[in-house]
Amino acid sequence: MVSQQLTLTNPQGFHMRPASVFASAMGKYKSSVTIKFNGSDYNAKSLLNIIAACIKCGSEIEVICSGEDENEALAEAVELIEGGLGE
Amino acid sequence: MPGFPSARLVRGIIMLKGTPASDGIGIGRVMIIEEHSLEYTPKTVTDTDSELERFRAAVKEFCENTGAQVEALRQSTGDKEAEILQGHIQMISDPYLCGEIEKLISDGRCAESALEHMCDMFIAMFSATDDELTKQRAADVRDIKSGVLRILLGVKEIKISDAPKGTVLVAKELTPSMTAGINKDNIVGIVTETGGRTSHSAILARALEIPAVLSVDGAAAKLSSGEQVIVDGNEGEVIVSPEEAQLAHYNEKRSEFLQERRELENYRGKKTASASGEVYELFCNIGKPDDAVKAIEFDGEGVGLYRTEFLFMDRTSAPDENEQFEAYKKAALILKDRPLIIRTLDIGGDKAIEYLGLEKEENPFMGFRAIRFCLKNRELFKTQIRAILRASAFGDIRIMLPLVTTVDELREGKRLISQTAEELKSEGVAVKENIKVGVMIETASAAVMADVLAKEADFFSIGTNDLTGYTMACDRGNSDVSYLYSALQPSVLRLIKYTVECAVRNGIDVGMCGEAAADSRMIPLLISFGLTEFSVSAPSVLKVRKTISKWTKEKADEVAEKVMSMATEKEIDEYLKTVI
Repeated sequence: MVSQQLTLTNPQGFHMRPASVFASAMGKYKSSVTIKFNGSDYNAKSLLNIIAACIKCGSEIEVICSGEDENEALAEAVELIEGGLGE
Repeated sequence: MPGFPSARLVRGIIMLKGTPASDGIGIGRVMIIEEHSLEYTPKTVTDTDSELERFRAAVKEFCENTGAQVEALRQSTGDKEAEILQGHIQMISDPYLCGEIEKLISDGRCAESALEHMCDMFIAMFSATDDELTKQRAADVRDIKSGVLRILLGVKEIKISDAPKGTVLVAKELTPSMTAGINKDNIVGIVTETGGRTSHSAILARALEIPAVLSVDGAAAKLSSGEQVIVDGNEGEVIVSPEEAQLAHYNEKRSEFLQERRELENYRGKKTASASGEVYELFCNIGKPDDAVKAIEFDGEGVGLYRTEFLFMDRTSAPDENEQFEAYKKAALILKDRPLIIRTLDIGGDKAIEYLGLEKEENPFMGFRAIRFCLKNRELFKTQIRAILRASAFGDIRIMLPLVTTVDELREGKRLISQTAEELKSEGVAVKENIKVGVMIETASAAVMADVLAKEADFFSIGTNDLTGYTMACDRGNSDVSYLYSALQPSVLRLIKYTVECAVRNGIDVGMCGEAAADSRMIPLLISFGLTEFSVSAPSVLKVRKTISKWTKEKADEVAEKVMSMATEKEIDEYLKTVI
């Protein structure tokens, strides 16, 4: 299992489009991908779960990947979030 | 309503009130969009494999239908609107959602019940958040649920695309998938029972330029299919079975509106410039963060006055720093890099806000209010400043102090702001460096002191409503003295001219955010004096841009010179009417 703390910097936060970009990117991996936010776990491959988490710009989150391709999954997650999720 | 003074009083005429959501006037016949019943009896399935097949086939059909609607919408209204529906495909393709539904089916639930169970769970989750955008997503999940249920149950979709010419659509709620079927040549008006100016229905109606009145209580029950109605999207009114005279009146209003809209559209996306090439800033006045959406829709170049009072009204305690921060940040994010001038709390004894402990006073407009009140209630003021400064990291935010009468007030305000900024920085919070602090010129004292204030303020904004009231010592609400209330009074014009000249001489921006900024009689004078920014209500933006474009500086100077030599308001008003 690998994980990293990150700050969401794209202005919209995890709304429709950024969440969709993130969920579909994570969907490619065999590993499970979880977002820890405000003490709860959210399935990061699920657009609806990410939206329900209501994560706004400036929030601290932890991305946790677990499985055979966990390192690749985490690397892409970090790149996407630090790159502003295509906004 | 000139020409037809009392539509409301005509016997037998029913008028329904709602929220004006898309401008214009539509006259046509009602078509009620009835939701077909999507009820079913949940049952236990034994052949779970074929039930899974049935579910997957329904999802596939839903995605195909929606994909076709996305294309249609992209053609008719553009990418932004199509994206909402595109999102439906992404949502129903969510592996978690599908996985859970399929699990339920494998456990013996029927597809309908499994789908409903999971969708309702997300609808409840989204609705429970305190975030407006997330709440709106609940409507999308509801739309998806009925879309897939309809396919599973074999219920025919309502075909709005078949509506005949001259149809007024009446529905409980206009779902994005319904709007996709709208042919704007045939639909002349929209009436719904839910939704406000910022709902999907409203945004789509405006994109399609179809007049719409939303949030009309019981519209579907009160109206019947085939009935003739007038939809007045400017006023938020629906007139049922109008008489000849009303029809004629509204037909005329309609063509005037359409002609003006066509003319004004030529000014959309253009710079605000005079005929001789001077460029101006043209901003909007707003009261709530959502109004910023309207400002952009009407092509405003920024916000020249954000009245923060609304945040403090109709509640039992003051909004805390975070609530204010979220509101200011929201406005800043909507505006992106366009300027946002936030006016600090402008409130006094005339407003009943119990928790502020404002006492009733004999003369609230001359009393303890606005900057005077804020400088004495440091904690309240500082909370607001902290919230504004925190939000300043998200856009081009500037701060404006209301009702300044002395230089001391500006100095004290600026001192508090820079001290608060330092505190925030030491807490590691990002704030904009050297945030601009300006003064609202709305008292005679501030106008007379403009030469001094201009050396210490970063900008001026002239509030003509109060400036006129204070200068003329007249209450516009008192009909015995309201004849005195006019920004075209020579005394008021002298103060405006002096204020603008002092600003220009000191190289600071000077705007006007009172009603006079949109007055076509005032505009040539402001051009001549040297105003740099106009801030008006959103629907006036294109009109003001058009008026400004008609004047050259030279011609405006001529007019202003004549006006400033005149002795009475009447003379000035009559003369200006001949030149505009």
